[in-house]
Amino acid sequence: MIAGGLALAPAGAFVLAALALFVIDAFSPGKTSGGVLAGVSAFGAVGALAASGVFLLSGAASGGIELFGGQLVVDGMSLLFTFIFGSVTALVAVASFDYVREMPHRAEYYMLILLAATGMSLMASANSLAVAFVSLELASLPSYALVAYLKGNRGSVEGGLKYFLIGALSSAILVYGISLVYASTGSLLLSDVADAAGEAAATYPGVFGTGVLMIIGGLAFKTASVPFHFWAPDAYEGAPAPVSAFLSSASKAAGFVLAFRILLVGFPIQSVVGAIDWVLVFQILAVLTMTIGNFAAATQERVKRMLAYSSIGHAGYVLIGLAALTGVGGASAGATVLGASMLHLLVYGFMNTGAFLFVALVEHWEIGRTFEDYNGLARQAPLACVAMTVFMFSLAGLPVGGGFVSKYYLFAGAVGAGVWWLALVGAINSALSLYYYSRVVKAMWIEEPIEGRTIAHYPTALYAAVLTAAVVTVFLLPGLVVFDGAAFDAAAALL
Amino acid sequence: MSNPWIAVGALALVGLAIPLSMIAISSLLRPSVPEQGKRAVYESGEVPTGDTRIRFNIQYYMVALLFVVFDVETVLIFPWALIYSDAVAEFGLGPVLGPMLVFLAILVIGLGWAWRTGAVRWVKSERAEIKTQL
Repeated sequence: MIAGGLALAPAGAFVLAALALFVIDAFSPGKTSGGVLAGVSAFGAVGALAASGVFLLSGAASGGIELFGGQLVVDGMSLLFTFIFGSVTALVAVASFDYVREMPHRAEYYMLILLAATGMSLMASANSLAVAFVSLELASLPSYALVAYLKGNRGSVEGGLKYFLIGALSSAILVYGISLVYASTGSLLLSDVADAAGEAAATYPGVFGTGVLMIIGGLAFKTASVPFHFWAPDAYEGAPAPVSAFLSSASKAAGFVLAFRILLVGFPIQSVVGAIDWVLVFQILAVLTMTIGNFAAATQERVKRMLAYSSIGHAGYVLIGLAALTGVGGASAGATVLGASMLHLLVYGFMNTGAFLFVALVEHWEIGRTFEDYNGLARQAPLACVAMTVFMFSLAGLPVGGGFVSKYYLFAGAVGAGVWWLALVGAINSALSLYYYSRVVKAMWIEEPIEGRTIAHYPTALYAAVLTAAVVTVFLLPGLVVFDGAAFDAAAALL
Repeated sequence: MSNPWIAVGALALVGLAIPLSMIAISSLLRPSVPEQGKRAVYESGEVPTGDTRIRFNIQYYMVALLFVVFDVETVLIFPWALIYSDAVAEFGLGPVLGPMLVFLAILVIGLGWAWRTGAVRWVKSERAEIKTQL
């Protein structure tokens, strides 16, 4: 066991790095060197990553450490997700060094990233509905500003505005849902909500059921799931590519960890099934999200927008983790499929971040956004294209990266939990996704290069981030065993 | 025996009925004298000047943001100060004073940064500069 305050070290690393940036930037506002800013951010993120990784793998917090009267809890799941946030933030901070090198307000950019990461790590630990809402806002508000960071760019501002408007609406829905749950159960603390949930579901099924449904809606926004996914393509496409990477990997994972904890700890399905059968809701959402995301991705002409829709599709795969908790096959089957969801988010944190950072690299070279613009890129940047190929095939679920293992766990877990048809839909969608992912690979390696395109220089930091993500993605193919015990234990602890 | 919500519903009905009936009755009783002065914008007896849609200086927005920070700070400090002596007697100085100092330090860092980056510097427009020189 670790002492109370020390358990928050991962979140503390993010906070301290953000505050350090405030102090550093105050000395000569706007003139701080990009290297210092990126270095401090990456250092803080790696600190969070290391702390959460050590706590997780040493089993120091396996029993769950409650802090501040149970408002926050540090357990296996929160550490696993803070590990994801740390890794994504570190990759994004390093890659941003080249991306925002020439732009104004660099310090603010890194501060907002770190503050959003702080909010996400608190979301992973939130054990009461009030903390859940506040930490969700802490993660969301910097994200809106980050999407609109290129304030002279029309797409960026439009994406930011859409993200903000839909985000504000979803926050309102979420907080109204929380108020209805509070009205019917009399508590905001998830464990107390769970104790009162059975009676509330029997006495006030309408109020309680509506409340839970609205909370699910608010969380669906954060995870970019259907029917609250409309902001995602515009926001991801308009935002600076490292920010898209950050939002589509870390922010999505944060939404999921909050959904896991609120639904599994706060609204155990056995006691609330009379008012609302949220497993059924998630089955519908999972099928819709997978299908809409993948079919929309298949029709895109621009790579970044394709990745945005594929990110929606992946949210659908992860939703299987909640949709398969039917109770068939007992608690172990549930723990397997839920743990597989967490593992998929872990792998996704590397492969999807890497894919968006490759897009950042392409944007840095200013060679265009469509599939055709990628034609023959492998002749000029073979190393980066190998990395992108790894990301694409790993996202599709081919055995070149960790994406294969996590998808295998996910679909096998769904079959084990008696929802074989969810696994079937997932597998069909994966097969479809191979089509549009391989379009990128085909453009890069097989098509004839575009005449007259020259690449002046190869940005070191962006390359380092892309290649690190690729190496970790490949390493996770055999290396996911390091984490799977921790993930399945974390899932079992919740069920 | 009776549902207490009946009283609330009755109150709502009366609340709606009174203004509606007043409008209806006065429209039956009053003489109709159309006059230009009645259609002018009413501004508390003053002669109306300008449009209702005026532009505020954007810098008020920054001041308002900084104000909210310290407004919330006050809300947290007051109850803390009220129980301070009792809490120190029970838990000791560190656990009571420490968190508040950390909280204030975070705010001071933020304020210092905002100050340095010019959030409280009042930028005048060129027109205002010319006006003061005249």
